[in-house]
Amino acid sequence: MNAVVGRAGQEGPLLKVEGLAISDGAVPITTPLNIVVERGETIAIVGESGSGKSLTARAIAGILPPGINATGAVTLDGVPLMRLAESELRKIRGSRMSMLMQDPFTMLNPLMRSGDHIDEMLRDRPEFASRFARADEVKRRLAEVGIVDEDVARRMPFQLSGGMCQRVALAAALARDPELLIADEPSTALDVTTQAEIIKLLRRVQRERHMSLILITHNLRLAFSICQRVYVLYAGSMLEVGDAAAVERQPFHPYTLGLLLSEPPVDIRVPRLVAIRGSVPRAADVLDSCGFADRCDWAKQICRTGKPPLTALDASRFTACIRQDEIQGELDALRTAALSAAPMTPRRGETAGALVRVHGLVKTFVGERGRPICAIKDVSLHIMPGESVGLVGESGSGKTTLGRCLVGLETPTAGDIHVNGIAAADFDAMAKADRVRVRRTIQMIFQDPFSTLNPRHSVGQALGEALGASAGATSPATAERIASLLAKVGLSAAYATRRPASLSGGERQRVAIARALAVKPAILVCDEPVSALDLSVQAQVLNLFRHLQVEHELSYLFITHDLAVVRQITERIYVLYLGEIVEEGPTERVIGNPQHPYTRRLVASIPRSAIQRAP
Amino acid sequence: MSVPAIGETRRTRQPLRVPIVILIAALIITGVAICAVLGERIAPDSPFLQRLAVGDTPPSSVHIAGTDLFGRDVLSRVIYGARTALVGPVVVAAGAFAIATLLGLVSGYLGGLVDSAIMRWVDFMFALPVPLVAIVVVGVVGGGYWTAVLVLVVLFTAPDTRIVRSAVLEQRPLPYIDAARTLGISKTRILFVHILPNIAPIILAYVVLDFAFALVNLAGLSFLGLGIEPGTPDWGRMLFENRNILFSNPVALLLPAGMIILTAVSMNLIGDWLFERFAK
Repeated sequence: MNAVVGRAGQEGPLLKVEGLAISDGAVPITTPLNIVVERGETIAIVGESGSGKSLTARAIAGILPPGINATGAVTLDGVPLMRLAESELRKIRGSRMSMLMQDPFTMLNPLMRSGDHIDEMLRDRPEFASRFARADEVKRRLAEVGIVDEDVARRMPFQLSGGMCQRVALAAALARDPELLIADEPSTALDVTTQAEIIKLLRRVQRERHMSLILITHNLRLAFSICQRVYVLYAGSMLEVGDAAAVERQPFHPYTLGLLLSEPPVDIRVPRLVAIRGSVPRAADVLDSCGFADRCDWAKQICRTGKPPLTALDASRFTACIRQDEIQGELDALRTAALSAAPMTPRRGETAGALVRVHGLVKTFVGERGRPICAIKDVSLHIMPGESVGLVGESGSGKTTLGRCLVGLETPTAGDIHVNGIAAADFDAMAKADRVRVRRTIQMIFQDPFSTLNPRHSVGQALGEALGASAGATSPATAERIASLLAKVGLSAAYATRRPASLSGGERQRVAIARALAVKPAILVCDEPVSALDLSVQAQVLNLFRHLQVEHELSYLFITHDLAVVRQITERIYVLYLGEIVEEGPTERVIGNPQHPYTRRLVASIPRSAIQRAP
Repeated sequence: MSVPAIGETRRTRQPLRVPIVILIAALIITGVAICAVLGERIAPDSPFLQRLAVGDTPPSSVHIAGTDLFGRDVLSRVIYGARTALVGPVVVAAGAFAIATLLGLVSGYLGGLVDSAIMRWVDFMFALPVPLVAIVVVGVVGGGYWTAVLVLVVLFTAPDTRIVRSAVLEQRPLPYIDAARTLGISKTRILFVHILPNIAPIILAYVVLDFAFALVNLAGLSFLGLGIEPGTPDWGRMLFENRNILFSNPVALLLPAGMIILTAVSMNLIGDWLFERFAK
């Protein structure tokens, strides 16, 4: 870190962004933004998808995609970046300011050994002129990001795991000892336990180097847990800025409060998540009003008459809510109510009369050169009628395969599946009548809302087909029946004529749920049904799941990697690790007091609960 | 961007802008199609009337494109020849893709033994050189134009099956297919109601490209004297018949040649554009 000496030590903040406005041709993506980063400070820019947070990061680094332009001023340590020529800017990028991207696999050059990525950054330095000096330095740099295995430097990116790639990328980004690191969702593409490691690493490196860090994220918990100040970005405008701890304790903007409340807490199961209705608008559609007005319970005419400016409340807090002083009492009350909500008590389960019973299930796939790949090894589980069961595990744990076996999309290699007493392990070997009965008992909700509906069919067609498939066509799929299905998932009858392309992710997932409900199933297998949705929409859909469970006495098998989601929706969970169930029990107990080391790691990997009790 | 941008993607559908080249190509194809339908009614002269005393003459005010060796009006023959130029390729493209769609859907969706069988057949067909097989079969079996068309249908089916199959394989793992399967919807319905509409744009684009290939192939066969019967006005046949009068009336050769090129290139351009615009 000797190189840092001589540059630092100046007065004023390290990075100053003034009036940065990004637009796509004539269409604005963000309104003018102001961001300040002090030396050695960690800030977070928090926002849902479409808020413009990633483009803001790219605008600061001067790497906007073609066609997107930015106006305003970005000053790094007194140097006006936006007025520099590309060749000058290149000297600053990497050496004074670096960037870490979301996808670790595409960030590294697939044809370069991982050590060469770091080597390349060191080449310009006179002290690393010799190959051996560089090799030593690469080793040292990899050790800094926690890679002690010297062999890693010689491996290609595809031979490394996602977490390893991200570490290598971080080492490469830090190779020229930048004063500012911009990390754009650095952990989102990784598994939960790896996420926690990368964040811990990022935090350690930031502290050790006394480097400034801008963390771009959609994850509030993450932002609050490692950042000193938080910028809340929504539809291209800054809605709230302030001290992380203070914002978390007492949010001043209804949107921040909504985000805090709609994030499922891990420590308690709340009776009902507070959801923000609707979805994020485009910046261009809310130019002359508060961007959040359409989704805000406190919106008045005054909110729609102009864009409310970000105003200072005290030295460190800013909010863009013009009615803040009038509504703060109500906001605080809501926050307190959520904190004091009584946790729900799970029912104590018996095992006789299970709706779904799986015994000794094994699924092996044929891999490369005929090598068997064991996805599930000897899994047994049961689900009672009306019970909501969680299946938790990381990618590769076999949880999706298990779900697909249950609904007959995969045929297990060995073991029994009984659905409603009918042996349903091999759908092809079943009698037709049995198959129809099982199909009507168990249905599946898929993860990706964008391909779960046939793009060429209208919503009405999709639901009509499902209705026709269900009853053995006892009654035709009338418009009324389609409308009543839509009503069950909280959509109006007018949606029947819409096509999937015109629906948002949350709306599509609702239609997919309606389609599954058409056959009046007793159990839904939900494979990560909310993981692709925005936080505020995720809460709406989770509430819908809960509401449907009560109304239709549905059982759920909730497949997810997200312990907070599982906490909110299930009574009992199974923890799946490398194809085996390593722990099971009531949700409260497993999360509150995990026994298996893997479960402990999983629980420990959550940054922290969103609901922090006031001191 | 980070998480998939929900609710903001595809909200605005771009208005359909057709490039000028495609418009011209479409205009040319429309012109050829009109000639094919109306034929002798818009031809200035009979395409069959021989004036042996006149013989081949260069373009004049009476015969705009001149006459051929038998004194027949070249322009009328070219207009009339649009019929065989269009009908054969249309039959080849439509026929080949009708069969290929069926085979491709079944092969891609069912997989397993059926898939292997169909794909091995496709591999075998790929090993055959199209023009050579056509020449041999038409030469040995005879039967002229329609035999040639039939042979091309069979030969074109193989690559088309592969195209359809790969499109099906792309749709197959998508959740909407899984959802239909868990609802217990029949295979036929999944194939024709769910998958087919989603791969239709790709099929359409390749049908158009097939047409262009068939046109060139059939013209080639006609030039070799296979296919169309002597005397019938046909662009490929005219190239063969009029090659001896290249210097007395070059138009008699250049006009049908130009028409083959223009039609094939136009169709190719339209097919490429359709593919870029809808199938990607």
